[in-house]
Amino acid sequence: MQVINTVADSDVAVKVTSLSKRFPNGTLALDNVSLEVPRGQVLALIGLSGSGKSTLLRTLNGLHAPTGGKVVVQGTDVSTANGKSLRKLRHHIGFVFQQFGLVGRATCMENVLVGSLGSLRGPRLGVRSYPVALRRKALEQLERVGLSEQAFQRADTLSGGQMQRVAIARSLMQEPSVLLADEPVASLDPESANQVLDLILRIAREDGMTVICTLHQVELALGWSDRIVGLRAGQVVLDQMNAQLSQDQVMEVYRATGTPMQFETESALQSA
Amino acid sequence: MSPSATRERLSPPVTATQVQLFIFTVVCLAAFVWSWIFLGMSFSGITSSFGDVSRLVKRMVPPDFSNLSNIVDATIETVWMAVMGTAGAIVLSFPLALGAARNTSPHPTIRYICRTVISLTRAVPDLVLGAVFVSALSIGPLPGVLALAIHSIGMVGKLFADAIEQAAEAPREATISVGATRRQTTRASILPQAMPSMIATALFRLEINIRASTVLGLVGAGGIGVLIQTSLRSLDYESALGAVAVIFVVVTAVELLSVRIRSAILGDAAALSQSSRHGWFSQRIIARDTRVNRKSFETRALSPPWTWDRMFSTATISGFLLALAVAVLTIDIDWARTVPLMPQIITVFGDLFPPDFTTVRSEMVTGIVESVVIAVIATGLGLLIAVPLSLLAARNIMTKRILSTVTRLVMLAFRGIPELIIAVIFVSAMGLGPVPGTLALTVVTASFSAKLFAEALEEVDAAPREAVLAVGAGKIQEFFASVVPQFMPAFTGHFLYILDVNLRSSTVLGIVGGGGIGFLLLNSMRVLEFQTTGAIVMAIFGIVLAIELIGNWVRQLLR
Repeated sequence: MQVINTVADSDVAVKVTSLSKRFPNGTLALDNVSLEVPRGQVLALIGLSGSGKSTLLRTLNGLHAPTGGKVVVQGTDVSTANGKSLRKLRHHIGFVFQQFGLVGRATCMENVLVGSLGSLRGPRLGVRSYPVALRRKALEQLERVGLSEQAFQRADTLSGGQMQRVAIARSLMQEPSVLLADEPVASLDPESANQVLDLILRIAREDGMTVICTLHQVELALGWSDRIVGLRAGQVVLDQMNAQLSQDQVMEVYRATGTPMQFETESALQSA
Repeated sequence: MSPSATRERLSPPVTATQVQLFIFTVVCLAAFVWSWIFLGMSFSGITSSFGDVSRLVKRMVPPDFSNLSNIVDATIETVWMAVMGTAGAIVLSFPLALGAARNTSPHPTIRYICRTVISLTRAVPDLVLGAVFVSALSIGPLPGVLALAIHSIGMVGKLFADAIEQAAEAPREATISVGATRRQTTRASILPQAMPSMIATALFRLEINIRASTVLGLVGAGGIGVLIQTSLRSLDYESALGAVAVIFVVVTAVELLSVRIRSAILGDAAALSQSSRHGWFSQRIIARDTRVNRKSFETRALSPPWTWDRMFSTATISGFLLALAVAVLTIDIDWARTVPLMPQIITVFGDLFPPDFTTVRSEMVTGIVESVVIAVIATGLGLLIAVPLSLLAARNIMTKRILSTVTRLVMLAFRGIPELIIAVIFVSAMGLGPVPGTLALTVVTASFSAKLFAEALEEVDAAPREAVLAVGAGKIQEFFASVVPQFMPAFTGHFLYILDVNLRSSTVLGIVGGGGIGFLLLNSMRVLEFQTTGAIVMAIFGIVLAIELIGNWVRQLLR
């Protein structure tokens, strides 16, 4: 397992320095967040709703522009990237959404093909408008997530777990080096949730992807990730490799009140 | 897995639905091209036509308001006609809707009869009804009111029935299980759920009827419309613009008001608070409602507190009833004389039968073909203009707020003048014939459908859009990959609806000399050949029914 703080720059997939994000309505979603994620690490991001998890993920691929600090992904400064360079960067960052983000009326195949738009010029409408080579690749990705049978079924006819797998196949089209997942299993039943997380983990290991995934379920986070980062009110209140963590320690992140200071003393008492 | 899997699976299978949709598209395009040739349309012709119109409009400026008291009187009569017509439609639609809705209908046969009556009333244009009623009751506002009331059943009855059917099932079961009768169940569990939507429907219809009643005067059924036509015929263009300006103000004001009231009734205070624009206002409403609710709890009040929603609905209903009372008391209808004449309506309808299809057969065929051609071109051209306009107007597509606002204002301005008034102006500028009618209808179609499309675009789910942007797609790629597929069903649905509306409109354009079957219709009534009138009404009915069937078929393909 990697040692967090002493990795060489070339091995860093994501580097966040004193990142802040204040929304136009005044909400401070991220407050001086710093984070370094080495290549190939699977990181679980936990915290209450509104703690800034989704905002952090969205600043990593430029869906939100930060109001302060710096975000570097795969050596590219996201905070200063714009237009073409931002699109190019996004093309190599997979993003999996809680609500899947599929076009319901389109077929699974077409939804997966959307993942290749970053490598194409000009608009596309309909499966036939994509090159055959890409269609073949899309089918391979659907095969990987176990849904090649449903390739030409409409996406809105699938179950929630299947939809999320299609969304993962869409990300795989990007051949991403970093995969960001925002509550990928929050809308799913426990059975499908496990399937989807296992799938993400298996693919991440196979392809050597860096994964940053926000999760609500602490048990899942513990069983599944290499490292857990906890956010509360936009600040990092927990950052440890999960081999060193107990469930109670992680649960502390979900305490409505309390400062990181209290958290340390309490956990010390508990371990005593 | 099928043996052909490896070879064919890279392209989507061609389904029967796709083939049918493809055929439908080809037929539509062919119909447009054929219509274009049939009418001898050309883009240079259109440009010069708009030149004619703008020259006429220049001669109309400055508007002459010397006739203002007449204009205002006629406008007030127009509004009262709409209020009474809408009230009549509500009264007639309510029992029909209860009979037509699945969850309240006493018997499937009754349900079928009610549904049929509702769709039949929609199939005869209000101007045609107005003309028939005028020949029974002589000129004046009463035939106009009756025409509005009966024609409106088609929409009001259908939307009422939809609202009733959309009521949740659980409260109804709960009410039945305490031993309530059918009527008690309807009152206690269904009507409270359907009420907001029904009030909104009634308001929307009132808005439509105000537009409609401005032109009923063209067939002698009262209101301001005749004033404009007389001014234009006597070449008094400035007065005509004066009357158009007043209509414009009234129609626009009513639309703006109706949109506000409807959204307030349909969305409760909590929904309002989520939109930041109304944030401050709705916060106050919520605070006030909380206070009022607490007070009624503390005082053990036995009647419901006056929350914002309750006050608003009550004010809307009382306002409408008050307007209705004023309308009935002040409108220029001699009730004592006209009420005994009512049975004559039945006689006139009887005179329409048996329809005589033979006397003017060739003119009839030409008229019908012309009407259809006008509707097809107006729809096609109108959509061509409406799509780019709607992209500019949709606030989630055109993020430059100033551009979308300006586009919306332009669209609103064009919607403020009823289509037959625009047709009257075009005919005055270009002379009689189908081309001015077509262009007038095109202008109306463009502004009306741009509004519908913009609303549909704004309803597009934002989640797939974000996801497509996240893979690194450009803005145009994102538009085609996520917005277009989501927008297509709404586009096709609205397209069919607009075609349907335009077919109805094009059958009456002839009344103002804008081409189509309408001229023959009015003429047959003038020369008292009612059986020919009957035949034409049947023909119009047939066209409208045909497009409805085609529409249902295509909608089912899109599901």
